[in-house]
This record gives sequence, C-alpha cells and structure tokens, in this order.
Amino acid sequence: MTARDDILHQLRTALADATLPFPPVDPPPLASNERMTVTHAAGDPLALAERFGAELQKLHGTFQIVESLPEARMALIGQLLSWAEEEEAARKGAQLQTGQERKVLSWDPATLIVPALRDALVDLNFELVTPSDLRSDDARDAVRYIRYGVTSVAAAFAATGSMLMTTGPQTSRAASLLPFRHLALIPFHKLYPTLEAWLHEQRGAGTLVDLYREHANLTLISGPSKSADIEMNLTLGVHGPKFVHVILFGQRD
Amino acid sequence: MTQSIIDLHQPFQQRVDAALRNKYLKTALSRATARMTMQRTTAMGAIDGQTLRNQVRQMKTHVIRHLPDLLEELEVRLTENGAVVHWARDAAEANAIILDLARRNNVQTVVKAKSMATEEIHLNAALEGAGIRAIESDLGEYIIQLNHEPPSHIVAPVIHRRLEDIAAILQRTLDMPPTLDPEAMCALARAKLRQELLTAEMGVSGCNFAIAETGTVCIVTNEGNGRFTSTMPRLYVALMGIEKIVPTVEDAFLQYQALCRSTSGQQTSVYLSMTSGPRKPGDSEGPDEFHVVLLDNGRSRMLAEGYGEALMCIRCGACLNTCPVYREVGGHAYGSTYSGPIGSVISPLLSMAVTGADQLPHASTLCGACRDACPVKIDLPRLLLKLRSDQVQHGQSPLFDNVAMKSFVHTMKSRRRYENAGKVASLGTNLMAGLAGGNLHYLPPPLSAWTESRDFPPFARKSFRELWRERRSRRGYIAGGHR
Repeated sequence: MTARDDILHQLRTALADATLPFPPVDPPPLASNERMTVTHAAGDPLALAERFGAELQKLHGTFQIVESLPEARMALIGQLLSWAEEEEAARKGAQLQTGQERKVLSWDPATLIVPALRDALVDLNFELVTPSDLRSDDARDAVRYIRYGVTSVAAAFAATGSMLMTTGPQTSRAASLLPFRHLALIPFHKLYPTLEAWLHEQRGAGTLVDLYREHANLTLISGPSKSADIEMNLTLGVHGPKFVHVILFGQRD
Repeated sequence: MTQSIIDLHQPFQQRVDAALRNKYLKTALSRATARMTMQRTTAMGAIDGQTLRNQVRQMKTHVIRHLPDLLEELEVRLTENGAVVHWARDAAEANAIILDLARRNNVQTVVKAKSMATEEIHLNAALEGAGIRAIESDLGEYIIQLNHEPPSHIVAPVIHRRLEDIAAILQRTLDMPPTLDPEAMCALARAKLRQELLTAEMGVSGCNFAIAETGTVCIVTNEGNGRFTSTMPRLYVALMGIEKIVPTVEDAFLQYQALCRSTSGQQTSVYLSMTSGPRKPGDSEGPDEFHVVLLDNGRSRMLAEGYGEALMCIRCGACLNTCPVYREVGGHAYGSTYSGPIGSVISPLLSMAVTGADQLPHASTLCGACRDACPVKIDLPRLLLKLRSDQVQHGQSPLFDNVAMKSFVHTMKSRRRYENAGKVASLGTNLMAGLAGGNLHYLPPPLSAWTESRDFPPFARKSFRELWRERRSRRGYIAGGHR
C-alpha cells in the first residue's frame, strides 16, 4: 500500500468508529451567511482611504491621499526624491557605491495607471527596472541592493491597512519584497472596507476560486517587514521593505 | 550565557531543574510571555472574540470530520495547478522525499522559513547529513541556529534568550561589533541572509493552512523570509501536517485572523503568502517546481486513539504564553519541538523521539488557562487527563502509584480500616515530627519524592471524627436538640 493510501485508509477507519469521542458524527459546516466579519469599516471612498491610512500608520507605514492622476504622479515622484535625499544623507558619500542607488524595481508601468511615469523618472535620473525574468544570477545581481520598489494593488482593505497583490507577468512579486522602500499606488476603486467585503464580491461574481488558480501566488501585505524576535523589541525591515508608503487617489464619490 | 542551557536528552526532571535554576531564562520568559498574553487579550477583546473562536472551532471540527475527503480535494487541485503532491507516513519518509528532490536537482543550499513541522522531522540534520547546507532565515531561528539550539516556543523561537545573550551570540558567530541595539543586529542579519535567500536553489517552508477548494498553501510571516523562500529559489517545498487544511478561501481568512490575533495581537500579519503552483508562463519570478509534502507522523493514530481534538490546533502559541508551567520552565524543559500545554498533549502522541514524553502530561496544574486562551477552544486539560488515564489503563503508571491507589481504595471501603489508618499515620508522623522539631523534612522513599522539595506537616493528633464524637458526648443537646 502506498503512503497515500495508507494514510487515507487509517483516517477513514478511525472516522468510521462510532465510539470515537471526537469529532462529532455530523458537525454542521460554517455557513457563509453566519460567518462573522472580524473587523469593520464604512463610509465613502475618502473615508475608507483615511481609515486605510490610519491603520497603515499604526503599522509604521506612511500615506497620502490625492484627488487626481496628475497629483498621484507628482506625489510618487516627490516621495522617491525625498527618499533618495534621505539615503544620500545617510550614505554621506563614504560608502562603496553599488550602482543600484537610483534603481526602481517596478511593476510594468502600464499597470500603474499613472501616465508617463518612466519618462518622468528618467528625467530625474532614476532607472526603472521591470524584470521579465529574475531567474539568472545576473538578473538577481542587478537587483540585490535595490532601494526602491513601485507597485499598485489587486485590492486593498481599509479596516486592516492591507494590500493584496496577485503575481503575473506584469506584476512582479519581487517589487514589493526586495527593495528597502516600497511605494504602492491605490486607486479608490480598488479599496474595500474589509477583506470579507472583497471575498463576498468575488464569491458572488463566481471569480474567487479562479483568481487563486490563475495566479501562482497571491500575497497580502500589511505594513513594513518586522520582527519582535530580539526580546520583543520591534525591528523593521528584516527581509522585506523597511519603509512602506502608500498613495491613495480618487474622487470622493 | 550563550551556550545551550538544557540538554534535551537529559531525564525530564533534570531538564526542569536546570530550567528553574537559570535566572536569565526566568527574566527572558517573564518579559516575553506577559507581553504576548497582554497583546492577545487586547486584540481578541477589540472584536467579538468569542464568536471568532466559536466559528473557528466549528470550521475546524468540520475539517477533522471530513479530513480524508479534503486531503483528496487538495491533492487534486494542487496537481491541476502544476504542483507535485507527496505523502509521508513518518519523519523518515518525509526527509527521504525532500532529500531526494534536493539530490536530483543538485541542491547545495536550502533556505528555510520558520516551520515547526520541519523541526518535528529534524529536517536540518537530515540535510546536513547529506552534505546540504540548511539556512534558517527567520531572525529568531537564525540566531538559535548560530548557537546550535532548538526553538523553545512555537512562534517565538528565541524567547529564552535575553537581548544581552543574543548580542553575545552574534558577536561570537558573526563578528558583530559590541552593541545592544536590536536594529543593528537586525541589519546585520538582513545583509547576511539576503545573499543566501537570492542564491539558494531550494526553499523549504511549513504551511499554516492549505485551502482545499483552490489548492493553495498559505504561510504567515512578518519578516518576509517566507516570501523569499517561496519566490526566489528554483524549487519550493512546503511540508504540512495532514490536519492543516481548510475547505474554502473564506475559512482560510477566518482562521488567519484568529491566528494573528492569538499569536501576537496583530489584526493581520505583515505578510500572508498564498502559493497555488509553480510560476506561470511569463512570470518574472517564482519557483519552477512546487512540491507539497503531506505528513502524517502519528496524526491519524492520534485521531484513532480519541485525541482528534488536538488536531484542530493552529499553532498560535497562546497556550504556552498563558501556562504557569511554561512560564517557569520555558520550552526546552519539555524536550520536544512542541512545548507548553499543546506540546504536552501531542509530543507523546506524535511519532517523535522525546526523552520522558510520558511525563509531559503530568507537567500541568490543570488550571485551564490554556483552554481559555485557545482560539479553537481545545479542551487541553481534558486531553491531559485522558493521557494520564490512558497511561494507567496501559499499566504505565509507577508501581508505587498502583499499590498506593489500591490500598487507598481498600482503606476507604471500611470505616474501621479508615480510622485505624488515620491513627497510625497520626502517631507515626507526630513521633517523627517530634524528633524533627515541627514539620517533617524527610520521609523514606517513595514518600521522599514529596519531602525533597517541601516539608510534610504531621497529621492532626485527633481526627475530625474523634473531635466530633467528643463534642457530641460533651454537648449532646446540640446534635439532639435542634434536629
């Protein structure tokens, strides 16, 4: 008998025993209409954006809310410039240069909604890296010390300050993982009050299962990387980004 | 104080003694467990925590009842997604599967995300035995790996070390300049591990839960090492106990939120990594191969022997933090990968070589704090009592206990025997106490087990029955007059 058949047989034999103290014979499944929503948020898109920002701040992230696409573009450029200044000051010109100081690992600019982003960044001496393949050693060397990552989201949840990312050819996982600083753009229409509200919508539309199976990976991100392993001291930026900045943009209604 | 505190292969009592003598351990434990308990109660108090616990329990109960069907569904979905599913009856089979994958792909280095299942099967030792480097990438796991120690907590592996101890470990092993700044220690570990995480050929993680309807393995981390492990290496292997399954995506998020709140008082962890398969055409990263190893290692037997409730555990560590025994002795005294109340239940039941595992069910005051903390409301005191009772049924209780219990029953069955025994005990203990000048400091074996750690008071000179009879004969009207 194979290990598989053996294990399944053992489980089925055990469960067939009527005297088994646990589990009960016919426990009711958790019905979808009785399942609780753990956290709550409500209001118009602006209220949800403000709630998202407040939750993200509790997690040591930062945010800003703007109304239009041009403003979002300005905010993104401004944030990258201010981060670059911060890093420049911290380096004080003393340390060895890695050649990756002005590189930005990004999703395909087409997915970021913001127009003419690549040109704007090139003008400011940033280089936009949108890898088509990170398998080779050379490709990995090119992003080993990468400082900045720019992404959007598949969905975002106000009540917990969380962002959902789906992996795909234009939506690199590495862009929200490798860089020291992660900037995410969230249009209001991707913002949901809660995880559960999004689940409800996807399930209702019959797309939830397909979404999981059509992507190799989905990742939920809430704030910067952190650890409390050293005697419960909070340390940020353990393996993932130490800084997470979110730009939420859209109209109130 | 950076060498290993406790030898896991010492007898149980010696491990406990060593833990109790270590004042550094006590400091580290009390700092951490109190804080984690406070974080958990705050986070569960901020929401309808009772309903959340009831619903997770209801969902997990349903899972255990339908476990074989759900496992088959998971296998079908994963396979359709392009993953390869393996089944392992025990640790040896699981290690052999992973080693074989490593060898066939010429793997030199494995990076690991924190995983209790891989600790349970001692995967690192198996890999290193085959000449393959195994690098722990969780910050806490990395520190104890540098110091050649096992984890002492399900979610906080280096909980037994103070800040000062950790600084000493990093100075000794990584030439860190002297500092007590956790940020500096973290930056050093980030730099050292980044290289490994980008170049290792194989990543290995555990699995917090797998979703049957989609064929998705989920891992919960705060640092991001779990994401690296499942994203950058060519091969990604997830090892999961067969009980770590949920039916639907909604069930996964329900359990996820209960887990985060119970573990560290977070609403959500920083990262929840959900992997359904290897990279798809056009993806810029992700493993070429994704393997899932389903591990039994005693779990099906646990169900058959009536301990199925323990299979609902989601490994949050809340029962450890709240347990008065764990808070005194820490994880290593248990001698097992799994410590605290849940460890005392599952360590003797899983196929693990734990020195003195049969004594673990007795390492509890049965106070019930663990049951009150558990997000799945597992009745841990009941399971501990069942283990004790099963030991007696199987004749595993010490000879002295058997003889003592039999004579106790014999004595209690007759008033005359009971009163005579009381007289003998009173006379004997008072004689000895008279010689000792108060309490008894020493009793002969096997009663010395008591007097080794505390005094024994002499029996009262007159029993309650004697006093009552005297009182009745002196003031008989009380008994007779009012009734």
